Amino acid sequence: MPKVTIIEDPVSGKSKTVEVENGTTVIRAAAKVGVEIPHFCWHPGLSVAGNCRMCLVEIEKMPKLAIACATQVADGMVVHVNSEKAVNARKAVLEFILINHPLDCPICDEAGECNLQDYTYSHGPGHSAFQEAKNKKPKRVPLGPNVVYDAERCILCSRCIRFMDEIAKEPTLTFVERGDRVFIDTFPGKELTNPYSMNVIDLCPVGALTNREYRFKSRVWETSSTEAVCTGCARGCNTNVWVRNNEILRLTPRNNPEVNNYWICDNGRLNSFKHVNSAERINSPMIRKDGTLQDVGWDEALAHAADALKPFSKDEVAVLGSAYSSVEDNYVLQKFAKQVLGTANIDFLKHEVAGDEDNLLIRADKSPNAFGAREVGVASPKNVDASRIFELIGAGKIKALYVMDDDAAISKEIEDLLAKLDLLIVNSWVSSKTTQLADVVFPSATFAEKYGTYVNFLGRVQLSKPAVSTLEQERVPGRFNMSRLDNFGSAFDQWNKGPRRNVRSSWEIISAIGNLLGGKMRYQSAQKVFDEVAQSIPAFKGLSYAKLGERGALLVEGALGKKSKQEALAR
Amino acid sequence: MILLVPLIKVIVVVLIVLGIVSYLVLAERKISAYMQDRIGPNRVGPKGLFQPFADIIKLVLKEMIVPENANGFIHALAPMISITVAVGALAVIPFGNYIVIGGQKISLMVANVNIGVLYILAMSSLGVYGITLSGWSSNNKYSLLGGLRSSAQMISYELSLGLSLVGVLMIDGTLQLDKITMAQSAGLWNIVYQPLGFLIFVTAAFAETNRLPFDLPEAEPELVGGYHTEYSGMRWGLFFLSEYTNMIVSSALMVALYFGGWSLPFINYAAMAPNLAALLQVITFFAKIGVLIFIFMWVRWTLPRFRYDQLMNVGWKIMLPLAILNLLGTGAVLLLVK
Amino acid sequence: MTNNGNGRKGPQLTLWEKLYFPEIIHGMSITLKALFRPKFTRQYPEERWVPPPVFRGRPVLVVEDETNVERCVACGLCARVCPSLAIQVQAAETELDKERYPELFEINMLRCIFCGFCEEVCPEEAIIMSKDYEMTFSNSKDAIFGKDRLLTPASQLKDRLEFLKQYR
Repeated sequence: MPKVTIIEDPVSGKSKTVEVENGTTVIRAAAKVGVEIPHFCWHPGLSVAGNCRMCLVEIEKMPKLAIACATQVADGMVVHVNSEKAVNARKAVLEFILINHPLDCPICDEAGECNLQDYTYSHGPGHSAFQEAKNKKPKRVPLGPNVVYDAERCILCSRCIRFMDEIAKEPTLTFVERGDRVFIDTFPGKELTNPYSMNVIDLCPVGALTNREYRFKSRVWETSSTEAVCTGCARGCNTNVWVRNNEILRLTPRNNPEVNNYWICDNGRLNSFKHVNSAERINSPMIRKDGTLQDVGWDEALAHAADALKPFSKDEVAVLGSAYSSVEDNYVLQKFAKQVLGTANIDFLKHEVAGDEDNLLIRADKSPNAFGAREVGVASPKNVDASRIFELIGAGKIKALYVMDDDAAISKEIEDLLAKLDLLIVNSWVSSKTTQLADVVFPSATFAEKYGTYVNFLGRVQLSKPAVSTLEQERVPGRFNMSRLDNFGSAFDQWNKGPRRNVRSSWEIISAIGNLLGGKMRYQSAQKVFDEVAQSIPAFKGLSYAKLGERGALLVEGALGKKSKQEALAR
Repeated sequence: MILLVPLIKVIVVVLIVLGIVSYLVLAERKISAYMQDRIGPNRVGPKGLFQPFADIIKLVLKEMIVPENANGFIHALAPMISITVAVGALAVIPFGNYIVIGGQKISLMVANVNIGVLYILAMSSLGVYGITLSGWSSNNKYSLLGGLRSSAQMISYELSLGLSLVGVLMIDGTLQLDKITMAQSAGLWNIVYQPLGFLIFVTAAFAETNRLPFDLPEAEPELVGGYHTEYSGMRWGLFFLSEYTNMIVSSALMVALYFGGWSLPFINYAAMAPNLAALLQVITFFAKIGVLIFIFMWVRWTLPRFRYDQLMNVGWKIMLPLAILNLLGTGAVLLLVK
Repeated sequence: MTNNGNGRKGPQLTLWEKLYFPEIIHGMSITLKALFRPKFTRQYPEERWVPPPVFRGRPVLVVEDETNVERCVACGLCARVCPSLAIQVQAAETELDKERYPELFEINMLRCIFCGFCEEVCPEEAIIMSKDYEMTFSNSKDAIFGKDRLLTPASQLKDRLEFLKQYR
């Protein structure tokens, strides 16, 4: 394996030596020892193009500067990242790029997270020798339903083109024209409609490609970004949730080579958080009084639910968990069912859309935690499964049903069955057909409002952090990632007036009811619940929030149930 | 008749003095403004002349707030003590010699007590009760500090005040203010004999009236108003009134003791009709008071406040020895002369 | 008496100064003279001050006279730089060339400290400090100035715009 010496500081000449595999490029070798070489066209997830010339470095014994992204290492290579020659070359490259790049950062959405802006500050010449008028090119060109292109800002790095070719495998974009008139366009008759098209927005190092939905909505520095997990399908892509004014404004992918690499599908990006901001959110516990659901306080609703459950025998009640909910919620639910209610009538509803899947990210199972719900025991061969539960409801054997974080009324028949129940208790984020039939409704926290772990279809347990504060949970540092406004604003500021909803995590609601019914479920936090999961469920053995970290951890393989193992291998 | 005449005198004096006080407030504001290159209140009435009425109406209508854990009774009592004592001291001030109504001589003093000076000293030392009690009853640390400072200050300066007076008393041999005035109208004013005593008396009087540079009990920057921090409305107004009344009493005492009272040099009141003479005397007396009060205000808007330790140093280490020295000197001279 | 209470030595005074009374007389002569100096008080509501262009009054948004469009592009830099977090901007898209405009622009005048940072940071010279120094509100909601009260035609702000051109 070749050894490379990277010299970052030209003054001290302090060097870092790294041993890398044959064929590794200099930029990767440098990244390995924590040296960032500025670059535009190179992206770790894409092929090497080498057209921006930003990553020029000086390599000893080479006659000219070399681009770090395309130069492969050789044994004994000495790379000067910031030598005078390299620095001047980068200055010149930036000056060239800025000949025609408009200085419209105040208008540009990328400002604040723009590579060109950052590099111009850190590496740029600070002036321009060019006084000529800048080129006029098409602006606000819709490349597809979700992506808007600004040709003037484009620095022609070709990342978007390569992404469509290599990752989405649907070549849609290309350069057209020549010289300083060149810009990017779709092939004739084509549109950027690929389900992964919006990744080009994240890839774009400048503000040339923008998200039509997020366009001009907010400045980057006004929002906080929180590490979460996409709940759109069983892949469980790692995401960042961007919040301002307690409202989710956008979702971007977060790199996790074990799950989603750098990508996310458009559906996940656009729709997986819509229910959090929804106007249909339930904002208070409700009890059915005189035939209508009426808002009540938490204590009253919890006591009412506990009292209502008491008269039913263990065979008369059933519980539905949710593959949309976290491991913690499902664990507490099954504990509630088995230890407090003593029933085996427990399952969760599957949400599979057959055929809607591909080889990249999208999975047919549209729930993020089906694996986890099964592993904690919500579904198991010992339990009565969902279809049987509905049958028993139809037969009048089951008279009470507890539904957690799901819309059980998946069809007209089941809706009619639910109407027959003597007691229907529902935890729900938004009002649905099920909540309209319910006797007690608890508003529950979505993935963005609680700590929660989700097990993706490969058995990877991943932690999602709260990004949106609730009525009972202030936005405080430590628990939340804070934006500048969160840190320095006061309760009287306009931007703090975003809706804070009166919701609780499902595990909180269920353990409170369980305790009222004589159970012993005293948890202080989701973390404590997970610690118990790790102790009592063999598949989770040895796991903790700290161990999950940013990339999650696999379930203990030997402990997996037979069926789930098969599923995992099936992919 | 025996009761009626003093009663009328009391009412007249109190009304006049309180009227003067309200205008003194305006005068002080105007003087301070002019010293600071400003104009001062000029909105209510011509040149702001009706300002005092606006102030009084405001004070009367304003809510009197009593702190939650204050001692309500004493809190209400304290300003009353202050004003009573201040007005009470006016009783022995000779505003003029006498008037003749229906052939009867009526003295222009409310009460001709033979221990007049002593009475005033007694009254002014009672004034400290008002301040100390208000400071204590407010249940506020600033007020309490103000009250404590006030009592310490009074004790320190009353000694010098009393001792500086003794010189005058030795010269004139009486405690009655009208007799002292008479003695001066016959000869030279006592200021000529007692310049040092006067200086000490003035300084102590500033301290006794809590005026700058000795307003430590109030000291806005450190005590946020001191003993009257927790007072508002007319109760606060009473403290205000008593401060200015005290100023009048001190000035009147100074006029009577050192500046010949109602007398003027080269003018022989005895040759005039008695009532005309009385009128002139009253005018003279108030004019002299006016000049002294102007000096009070002048000093207030010129000098900075003393620090507490400085106040004590000046009181005990400088003024008291000087007062004793003055006393001994006067005694020695008197012995030699006689 | 040079000990000023905190253990340090105060200024060294001459004997004359230590006598204290002469210095008091000196001080009082100064205040007495002040009594007769001319006064500069302005009779405010009747007689108003017109500030010079350097004056930083209430920040306003400039509206171009010809097009009747505000210059602001809602970049949010003023909100970012505002030390008292007084400004809130919400951008939106417009068909005009400038692409974005402030859908909502609010300055909380109870918070504004008139530092002029917003004016200084503005890349479009769209928010500038006017000459307006007369602001009264009877409740805190009135103190939040929206676009209706902020938008001001450039013709009314000539002095300040000229000043900025010259000195910035």
